[in-house]
Amino acid sequence: MSFASAAIVVLWFGSLPLATLAQELKPLPPNDEKPSSELADLGKLLFFDPRLSGDATISCATCHDPGKAFTDGMPLSTGYPGSRYFRNTPTLLGAAGQDFFYWDARLSGDDLPSLVRDHIAEAHFMQADGRLVIERLRQVPEYEKMFREVAGGEPSYGKILNAIAAFVASLGSREAPLDRYLRGDQTAMPEAAVRGLELFRSKADCTGCHYGERLSDGKLHNTGVPENPQIFSDPLRHITFRRFMRTIGVGQCATLRKDIGHRCVTKDAQDDGKFRTPSLREVSRTAPYMHNGAFSTLSEVVAFYNDGGGSDSDDLQPLELSSEEQADLVEFLKQLTGEPLVLKPPELPAYQLRTLGEF
Amino acid sequence: MRTSQDCLLVFFFAATITVLGCGKKETQVASGPEVAVNEDAKASADSRRPEQTTAEPDEAEANAADANETASLAAGFPPLARLPKVPVPADNPLTDAKVSLGKLLFFDDRLSGDLGTSCASCHDPRLGWGDGNALSRGYAGTQHWRNSQTIVNSAYLSKLFWAGESPSLEAQADSAITGNLAGNGDPVMIEERLAQIPEYVALFQEAFGIDRPTYEHVLKAIASFERSSLVADNSPLDQYLAGDEAALSEEAMRGKALFQGKAGCIQCHHGPLLTDEKFHNLGLPENPLFTKDPLRQVSLRYQHYIRGVPEEVYRTATTDLGLYYTTKRKSDMSKFRTPPLRYISYTAPYMHNGVFETLEDVIEFYDAGGGDQAGNSPLLRPLNLTEDEKWDLLEFLESMSGDEIRMTPPELPAYEPTKVAVASRTNPNE
Repeated sequence: MSFASAAIVVLWFGSLPLATLAQELKPLPPNDEKPSSELADLGKLLFFDPRLSGDATISCATCHDPGKAFTDGMPLSTGYPGSRYFRNTPTLLGAAGQDFFYWDARLSGDDLPSLVRDHIAEAHFMQADGRLVIERLRQVPEYEKMFREVAGGEPSYGKILNAIAAFVASLGSREAPLDRYLRGDQTAMPEAAVRGLELFRSKADCTGCHYGERLSDGKLHNTGVPENPQIFSDPLRHITFRRFMRTIGVGQCATLRKDIGHRCVTKDAQDDGKFRTPSLREVSRTAPYMHNGAFSTLSEVVAFYNDGGGSDSDDLQPLELSSEEQADLVEFLKQLTGEPLVLKPPELPAYQLRTLGEF
Repeated sequence: MRTSQDCLLVFFFAATITVLGCGKKETQVASGPEVAVNEDAKASADSRRPEQTTAEPDEAEANAADANETASLAAGFPPLARLPKVPVPADNPLTDAKVSLGKLLFFDDRLSGDLGTSCASCHDPRLGWGDGNALSRGYAGTQHWRNSQTIVNSAYLSKLFWAGESPSLEAQADSAITGNLAGNGDPVMIEERLAQIPEYVALFQEAFGIDRPTYEHVLKAIASFERSSLVADNSPLDQYLAGDEAALSEEAMRGKALFQGKAGCIQCHHGPLLTDEKFHNLGLPENPLFTKDPLRQVSLRYQHYIRGVPEEVYRTATTDLGLYYTTKRKSDMSKFRTPPLRYISYTAPYMHNGVFETLEDVIEFYDAGGGDQAGNSPLLRPLNLTEDEKWDLLEFLESMSGDEIRMTPPELPAYEPTKVAVASRTNPNE
């Protein structure tokens, strides 16, 4: 590291804990395929089953489409029919094991089943009554059988959540060129990407927040990402935004013209505009970027950070990267994505008639 | 008149047609004057009735005996009477502003979760303000488990829904909007949707003096609309009760005597509302859809589940448990609230499960002494009505409807984008 770049790093990390300076990138353990299980196989069926939504039109896979790296490829997520969501759909690859769930970190990363429950129940996601979902699944003999064999009893809300959680937990990050490079294969990444890696660790200091196996500190930062005006100009999004802010207990939401991020959870002004640092794995396939899909390409993201982020960002300073350096950085970011996980939507078992009164 | 067995066969066939036709049902959009007379309905009993036979002498004697029975039976119950003024709750006085707002909301599918259902979806002005199906269509992804009742004259009832679950129109609207088999709406989402529609904001301001629409006021406005606009109080029976003796035909007059006497209808259908608002088990056959449609089974079991019946009942029940869902008393199983009878010509199919396609079917059912389940109402017994008596009774039942209340769905106000400048890009270099 040159003196100059070290000085810059020290300069703009002056307010961050020293520990972050020591963070390094780590490869995935070799062959990190998460073991599949019968519970996860059941969860996979449920993941694709629209009977988990109130009007039986959307499934988990509607927004977390395996063909789009488990995102929907849109700047802002669609949500339940009649509503439109106000944040970007994150990938599920490697999602399990994060410190927090949701961009605003409103759920603990320790509890994947609760994340699933929130999606099934919330008015802006799947708007389903869990008790109705149970009855629907109990009306499908193949589900009945599978739940008994795999989960130890007939379909219940808890068992449904656990099965889907097991499936999501099986969606590990995929081995990427970076992993091979970090394990010593010097040819795993093109030269431009190797230069980009150096910048990532030094002059651009992306490792301030993006480090470790997951390329994320798991913390919350305000980088000053510009607002997505759609949230306020699209009536359905603004409705959904206001309803969300109201139900989570934020006052004055009618006049709010900014996504306040983690502040909606803590109600603490210090958390204004803070969002969870996303993992950078699979990033080549998860455009658009940021909590609100503000940037459609990685080049835009790099340019944003090169400019020192948004005006109200926590600690970001302009990076003064040349255009070649920015291109190298983008080249590096492309090395964080593994082979796509090919997952065909399964054939779903159908409702069958029962003899009423017989269990 | 057909035998009950014939009726049942016909019903099975008709029910099948209903299922096949479900979702494709096309009905003409009402237009023109808001109140139209349905001539078909008025003429129906007359036109279907075969040539009348002259009463035999012994039958005449029997009729005289019936007349005495009429007097004694009817004396024990509140008399048939004209409808009073609509009761209005103290906390929701009726105003024109509320009524116009309520009418818009009634037809607005933005009160449902996925925008697929409005109140009018299951309470359609063209279908007697019910939905014309034996069992209601329900929310998308579900099939409801009960018949959609007419809401005409519902303003008079103190117990709404077939098993009397709601005490007021406001409470009923709440259950229908949020019920997962009905509107599946979210109250806060509804409030925010309405706040996005300037015309609604102004109408709520005008009707209730509030700055932002609230869910509570949505319910109040819809209830006001029902109280003001969905009252049928000028049937031939009402005209007769007002002193116009010519309003009822001779046949209907004979039917009235039967209603209050030999047929015993007056025991439950009495007073101005033609209902005792009490709960009875008629031993009705269950709708065969419950053995043919998995989604109806889902809804039935869901009902057992959410109403918190004991596990054993949940597992073993084969039918709609009616009042039992509320009280959990075994003696209340399959009891339903006596429905009022005004507007009945427009509200087929009949009963909580729509099991009877026509009023003739209903009369045959009662003539046979009701259903044969255990726990039936002790009021039921074979009536031994003659064919002519059945026609007379039908004629009387059809005198309870009068003009049809037609209504053209109003044009609904649209969402408008929020008119406030969004904070510009915060990038300092732009």
